[in-house]
Amino acid sequence: MSDEHKSYLKKIKIRKLVIRIVQIGLLLLAFGLWELSAYFEWSDPFITSSPSRIVTSIANLYRSGDLFKHLSATLYETVLSFVLSTVIGVIVAVILWWSAFLKDVTEPYLIVLNSLPKVALGPLIIIWVGAGRGAIITMALLICVIITIISALTGFLSVDKEKVDLLKAMGANKFQILFKLILPANIPSIISILKINVGLSWVGTIMGEYLVSREGIGYLLVYGGQVFKLDLVMASTILLCILATLMYLAVALIEKLIKRFYK
Amino acid sequence: MALLELKNVSHIYHSPEGETWALKDVNFTVEEREFVSIVGPSGCGKSTILAILAGLLTPSEGDVTIGGKPLTEAKGTTALMPQRDQLFEWRSIMRNVLLGPEIQKNKSPEIVTYAKTLLEKYGLSEFTSKRPSELSGGMRQRAALIRTLVTSPKLLLLDEPFSALDFQTRLQVCDDVSDILRQENKTAILVTHDINEAISMSDKVIVLTERPASVKKLYSIDLDKNLPPLKRREQKSFAVYFRRIWKDLEVHNE
Repeated sequence: MSDEHKSYLKKIKIRKLVIRIVQIGLLLLAFGLWELSAYFEWSDPFITSSPSRIVTSIANLYRSGDLFKHLSATLYETVLSFVLSTVIGVIVAVILWWSAFLKDVTEPYLIVLNSLPKVALGPLIIIWVGAGRGAIITMALLICVIITIISALTGFLSVDKEKVDLLKAMGANKFQILFKLILPANIPSIISILKINVGLSWVGTIMGEYLVSREGIGYLLVYGGQVFKLDLVMASTILLCILATLMYLAVALIEKLIKRFYK
Repeated sequence: MALLELKNVSHIYHSPEGETWALKDVNFTVEEREFVSIVGPSGCGKSTILAILAGLLTPSEGDVTIGGKPLTEAKGTTALMPQRDQLFEWRSIMRNVLLGPEIQKNKSPEIVTYAKTLLEKYGLSEFTSKRPSELSGGMRQRAALIRTLVTSPKLLLLDEPFSALDFQTRLQVCDDVSDILRQENKTAILVTHDINEAISMSDKVIVLTERPASVKKLYSIDLDKNLPPLKRREQKSFAVYFRRIWKDLEVHNE
């Protein structure tokens, strides 16, 4: 290895380190200023809360035994709707890929459903499914599933026609074209769908919990807002950030595993 | 008896805008172990002929027979080599090569051995477990050709398989393909828009008319068959063939 290359590698390493330090520094600075402004009452801690109040709030939740109840409720709903919407969406996309007739028939419906803000269906969902977990999962499912169908189908249909012809010339039937070509060729697009769905299923779950308001982080947020316990609202937001990030990381890990398997 | 015979083959494409005659009464034969090129003005329907022979299209009219049998009853007797190599990126070279047998559900140990032999013979033995992206353009084409060979087809259909390559690789791959087909005693039809390529590789060149395409002229290429295509380009009569075919095509471009 030449000296020039060594110093180049060192430069990259230092740059990475500096970025990490600045990132953490910014976070600490923000929290520090926030805490100070609450302590010296530059701002009203009743309105803006403060890091120490957030920690207390989380500790209280933990002591009352409510913390894990709410966290697990939300996590369960999100993961379930994430998995369901991805699986259902891909299966529907396969069906529409299989039958051009069905694809053409459903096209306008998909367009309308895609442009409709699914949250608007909230009241209907609650009446039809009942004000419980079912409604929350249905809401999250609706938000994710349409876009999953549309993006998966687009991916399926954009597979090179020459590859399809190659398989057909070999005498492949439609099943073989699906499993030997269409699905494996779309692993990357399905992974990007997973990533989109992580975010969307959180939106759906929190939205659902707003409406149903029984338990979960969404419930804590709404409840905290209504009784003006802004410490609770802030604490819930922070918890949500952590959970959502963890789930994103889990999907990134799945992506890595799949890529290793396929590369 | 000829291996392949097309008798009055016509094809019409239908679209909401109307119907297009792609082929009109195409007649030609291909003998066993012959290398035949089809050239013609662009968009004249060259690829339609290959699509019919590959079983992707059923001609509107006419008969196609392979070894005396109608094409529809002769499944698996033709193999297609598409315009770009179309190797599957998620499969190793070996698994790409074995795609045909896998589809046809006859991936026997003999075929696997045959695939290995071919890969070894044509310089890809080190790459059997590699992904297509790790191979050069020329090696990819060879792998694609071996993929068409492993199913032991009677007739190979080459659909401008060199068009995506740079000029140098292209000349090299032409030599490779010609050599491989000769060694394996294969019959092949090449569709191309490159007259040089057609003359240098073929025993016979079929010139098509403009759409709707029919056979305009048929040239038996009398160049030294033992020379590789690149060397054949240097032979005297090569230029004569070129000028004649060029003229055939030129008239139609006016």
